[in-house]
Amino acid sequence: MTVTTTSVTLDKARANQQQRRMPGDHGRPLTQSRGAARTLRILSTALIALWFALPFVPLALWSFADQWMHPAAFPMETGTDGLTAAIANGGGRAFIHSLVLSLVVAAIATPLGAMAARALSRGHVRFGKSITVLLFSPVMLPPFAAVLGLNVLLLRAWVPPAVGVVLVLVAVAIPYTTFSMRAAYAAYDDGFDEAARTLGATSRLTLWRIHLPLIAPALARSAFLAFVVGWSDYLITLVVGGGQLVTLPLIIASSASGVGNESSVAVLSLSAVIPPLILLGLIARSRNLDPGRQR
Amino acid sequence: MPIRNPLRRQPSTTARHRILPALATAALTALALSACSAPTNNPRGPEFFDWSDVQVAADGQTVKLWMWGGDDQGNAYVDDVLAPAAAAQGVTLERVPIADTKDALNRVFTELQAGRNTDGAVDLVWINGDNFRTGKQADAWFCDWTGLLPNMNFVSDSDPLLTEDFGTPVEGCEAPWHKAQFSFVYNSATVPNPPTTVEGILDWAEANPGRFTYPAAPDFTGSAFLREVLYSVNGGDESVPSMYSDEAFDELSPALFDRLETLAPSLWREGSTYPATSEQLTKLFADGEIDMMMTYGPATLTALVENGTLPETTRVLTVEDGTLGNASFFGIPSNSGNIAGAMIVANEALSVEQQVAKADPAVWGQFTVLDLDALSATDRALFDDLPQSPVVPSFDVLSRNANPELSAEWVPALDDGWRTRIAAR
Repeated sequence: MTVTTTSVTLDKARANQQQRRMPGDHGRPLTQSRGAARTLRILSTALIALWFALPFVPLALWSFADQWMHPAAFPMETGTDGLTAAIANGGGRAFIHSLVLSLVVAAIATPLGAMAARALSRGHVRFGKSITVLLFSPVMLPPFAAVLGLNVLLLRAWVPPAVGVVLVLVAVAIPYTTFSMRAAYAAYDDGFDEAARTLGATSRLTLWRIHLPLIAPALARSAFLAFVVGWSDYLITLVVGGGQLVTLPLIIASSASGVGNESSVAVLSLSAVIPPLILLGLIARSRNLDPGRQR
Repeated sequence: MPIRNPLRRQPSTTARHRILPALATAALTALALSACSAPTNNPRGPEFFDWSDVQVAADGQTVKLWMWGGDDQGNAYVDDVLAPAAAAQGVTLERVPIADTKDALNRVFTELQAGRNTDGAVDLVWINGDNFRTGKQADAWFCDWTGLLPNMNFVSDSDPLLTEDFGTPVEGCEAPWHKAQFSFVYNSATVPNPPTTVEGILDWAEANPGRFTYPAAPDFTGSAFLREVLYSVNGGDESVPSMYSDEAFDELSPALFDRLETLAPSLWREGSTYPATSEQLTKLFADGEIDMMMTYGPATLTALVENGTLPETTRVLTVEDGTLGNASFFGIPSNSGNIAGAMIVANEALSVEQQVAKADPAVWGQFTVLDLDALSATDRALFDDLPQSPVVPSFDVLSRNANPELSAEWVPALDDGWRTRIAAR
């Protein structure tokens, strides 16, 4: 009997602790907006949501418009002509190429960025500031100038085009992954790792069971950034890839340079927007998970 | 006296010691980069003695055809009609869609600059005019190969559209693919009595303010329109020498710019702005903002009307004083690794079957480059039996009194004149 009572009180205490909130916490009276401020907040949120959603409305409409002529406000005939044309133009293959390329770029640039960020944030490297500047230089250089010159070097070195594309895109992605991981490491307490090692865990076990789970949300975010770099690139894929890698942006750009392809361009554009959105949704969900929680 | 050990690191100069190797590497890299720009290559390509040589070499090759990807019908023709025919000859044809033909040329130039002379990524390019000339000046094309193609027998060797590409002699450096005719297009619902001359079109534009415009030079179609008007205001194409000279330009261009200057206030948005590309012009026409437009690619009109982009009442104007004509070609970069395969594709594209299929408005509607008089009666009949487009007249109607293109040097001169005289108005 007594045992159960203690466990009940324990549960209650834990529940109370979860319910207890500090005055500045979200949803407490101190942070609650009222009246005009509240209206303004809701209104601005709605406007921003509209601002992001609006471009998708014509895109979605065009995707299913077999015929849509001025001045009709809505498509006159709907169907799947756009989808058929997009597939006939090689959209399916390009989608797969884009997916593989972006995943490879993310898989390489994320750990590199994480390592660079950890070294930089722990002050392990000399000339940290200059190295930071170097790391960020791909973002600051105009890509066209850099890529054309770089491509001559890659061709001279007989680097296969697909490998060249990955190399250059990784270089472009690393500043983003490093930057996002630096923020994560600034907030990361090395004490977790130290405690695990003190308790006898090997460095590999510490990495897999303690370190990686704790920085997983940040890793996911920076992997997403690297994915988007590969996913949206046109110039590097075209110039360095030399036609070996026909990705979605290449198909979209060539398709959009003509007249009368609106519905297929819309289908292609939507298919280019949806995968990053799905990834973003997955990351937003995983951020709510507490990586340190014991199951 | 202590002798300083040169290998010993001085603590105070550690930083310098670390920077020096980095500097040396950077200097070497810079040296290597500057060496790249030296022309070390002398591209030629393989030698073939006869067609069977080419066929043997081509077997199993994969040809990458770089072409503008903005025309769904053209893409579908290459993928569904030309590629299977090439496959039957043992050559795999893959299309690389690009937004601008210059991208293909840039790739070739970069490869040549890097000394990659035998394994280029571009095997075949759909080109004409400016891009051909640029490549020829850079010695980037494989040349003297079209004479080997069996199907060149049906191509007239005296047709000026095929022996010169915008004034640049073709000289066996590109194989013809199809012809195009500059065309004025109008909406028969809003223009019941269309004009019949270029001057008439300009007068019509002044009588109907805001219903006509043309793309801003240097757009391809926009500068073609400048040449049309140049011919018109100077009394026809015979009055304008094909070869460019400053004297000819100074004598003939003022009439053109004076005419366009008086026209400007009657244009769409009072000529304060011009569509930047022919695609934008087509959109204006499709949206009913203007009643007349122009195109150098009338082949696409039939499909654009059929899929509802353009109104059903779209018609091509046949102009009495004739319009400019040109031809599209296939070029093979000299550093392609699949030159034989590219030649097989270019030859196949010139076959009667391929030219007939491509000329069908339901497939692509591109005008043939074959000399119909040189064909057998049965082959000729294939062309005669092609369905007529309700929008685009047949080539012999459209190309009546066709005007020759001016040499490519005229183009930038006229474009510059337009920019300073008309755009800066």
